[in-house]
Amino acid sequence: MGDSVAGVASRGRTTEVDFALIGHQESWRAAADVLAFLRGPQRTPLPDDEIKDILPWIPPRAVCHVDVGSTVGAKTSGLYIDSFIPPDRLEAAYVHENIGRVRAAAAYAIKAGAKIVSLGGFSSILIEGNFDQLPQRHDTVFTTGNTLTVAFIVQGIKKMCALEGRNIRRSTLLIVGATGDVGSGCARCLAPIVSRVQLSARNVERLRRLAAELQADGVQVEIATDLQRFSAEADVVICAASLPSPSLLLGRIAPHAIVCDAGYPKNLSPSAQMLGTKVFFGGLGQITGGLRFAPDFHGILNRHPFPDVVHGCLLEGMALALERRFEAFSQGRGSITQERVEEIETIAARHGIYLAPLYNADGPVEDGLHCQTEWA
Amino acid sequence: MEPLIGVNASPMACASLAPSAPIWQDILAQAMTGELLAAMNYTSLSEICDDPAEVADALEHAQGERGHAAAFAAEGRKIGVEVSNNVDAKHWKRLRDGFMRCIVDRDFIGCLIVQEIMLESFAVASYSRVGKAAPGSLGKAFARIAAEEEDHVDHAMSILRTERALDAGRFDDKVYRLHLDVMTTLAQMLAKECKDGHCEVCHANCVKPSLFEVSLSAAELRGASLRQYLKTLDMLGIPGEVTLAWVTQLPV
Repeated sequence: MGDSVAGVASRGRTTEVDFALIGHQESWRAAADVLAFLRGPQRTPLPDDEIKDILPWIPPRAVCHVDVGSTVGAKTSGLYIDSFIPPDRLEAAYVHENIGRVRAAAAYAIKAGAKIVSLGGFSSILIEGNFDQLPQRHDTVFTTGNTLTVAFIVQGIKKMCALEGRNIRRSTLLIVGATGDVGSGCARCLAPIVSRVQLSARNVERLRRLAAELQADGVQVEIATDLQRFSAEADVVICAASLPSPSLLLGRIAPHAIVCDAGYPKNLSPSAQMLGTKVFFGGLGQITGGLRFAPDFHGILNRHPFPDVVHGCLLEGMALALERRFEAFSQGRGSITQERVEEIETIAARHGIYLAPLYNADGPVEDGLHCQTEWA
Repeated sequence: MEPLIGVNASPMACASLAPSAPIWQDILAQAMTGELLAAMNYTSLSEICDDPAEVADALEHAQGERGHAAAFAAEGRKIGVEVSNNVDAKHWKRLRDGFMRCIVDRDFIGCLIVQEIMLESFAVASYSRVGKAAPGSLGKAFARIAAEEEDHVDHAMSILRTERALDAGRFDDKVYRLHLDVMTTLAQMLAKECKDGHCEVCHANCVKPSLFEVSLSAAELRGASLRQYLKTLDMLGIPGEVTLAWVTQLPV
């Protein structure tokens, strides 16, 4: 296990930094847990009002060291850098402030000597269309990590269909947030294997372009900015919209639809229409070759019911570091192809990074699986 | 206690700031006390310097800090209040005692860490915020003094970076030891409420609950100060994950 906070309270660790992971806490509870851990068990946890007052002032910085092992014996080390975007400031109103925080976190990663930097969570959403705003240094590359996220979403959909005994080839796939990097990547990977595709997003022009691209390959595509306007009920749904809170309401989906909540933070709002649906959290992978934090933030930074589960966007940087391929694998918006998804899947699998066990807010969705940690 | 009205105050300034004058009076009193303490610290520092250039430098800084204290007093007079000071007030005295322990040990580097890294971070950040919130001449004075304080931190930073390059582990341990002493006191001063009773600088009740009336807050001043401190420690090269733990462990 990793070192305690006390062990590193006065000294840093001097190891080579292959990768950096830029993230943030998606809820005040998560932020409180991080600060409570840093304060140590002998000090009273900070009251909620103090956390909300203090956190926005913390400049982006490393929170811990991360060591990752591969099932074929490779090892790599890096840093988790928190941008300290306050959980209640993910809205558009704070976009400039938040880009500034991601830029500062990126500068921190460069200064630490990271060779590859993965932009986790909202950081990649903020930056996917603004890569030119990141600080430049020739020996540090940035990846949104979206290609591996897409890979795990697609694998999750296929696995869930298999678990539910559904024939994916007969299904109608709805992608909400279809024109984003993750949404469009999922569309390209799944469109060839489903019966028809429904694409929803706010920007009609981008929707039309994506639809035309898919239709050129013979896919039956329908587009709408309003979910109620689709002509049929979707039975497989991917929610990949960039929303800062669980505010996405689904309508007009099949009563027993498979729904992948692939947003970060999770943005699907539970509703009465979804009572019979099979919801799972998408885009997550699991490291089987070993994951170590120093100080030991296990279960605090990766708050999942199964061990060593990490978001695909962050795993992409770790997988590429294990492969010693320090390249900007995922950049920009809308350029994720099926070939690139297969390539990153292969790299990840070579090092023992696989799709995480499927789960949702109620726990595991696969029979026989049990959570290893208490999870609410 | 009612604010004392100075006879040399400009009637216009008095009129415009009259309702908030007692708040500015307390803010100025805290700032003036800090400047006088800094002047005392630099004077003490001059007494342990071997290099005549360093002696001259320390005395020049002491003089500069006395000038800042005088400037704050003058700003008080402009708005019709007398600015008091109390370097023996409990928190300020503890800060002075912490600095003096370094003097007794003839620890020049320790003195720079306390004064330039810890106390000046607090001064630069809080003066900058007050400079933005305070109107007219008062705001300009705080902003100007914040910039001057920031300038002389640069000189100390180059000395401290050189020292850290010699033995980073030993240097970081020293900063941590001084952090526990000095920053614990500063954190108590910066807390949203004064939980240990009156600070002995504010002229009547604690000014913190009233700061919102002049578009400031204790939380903002604390946040800005701690952020400045973390950034200063970053510039020294102390790992961010280490300093993050230090700061989160401070009292609130």
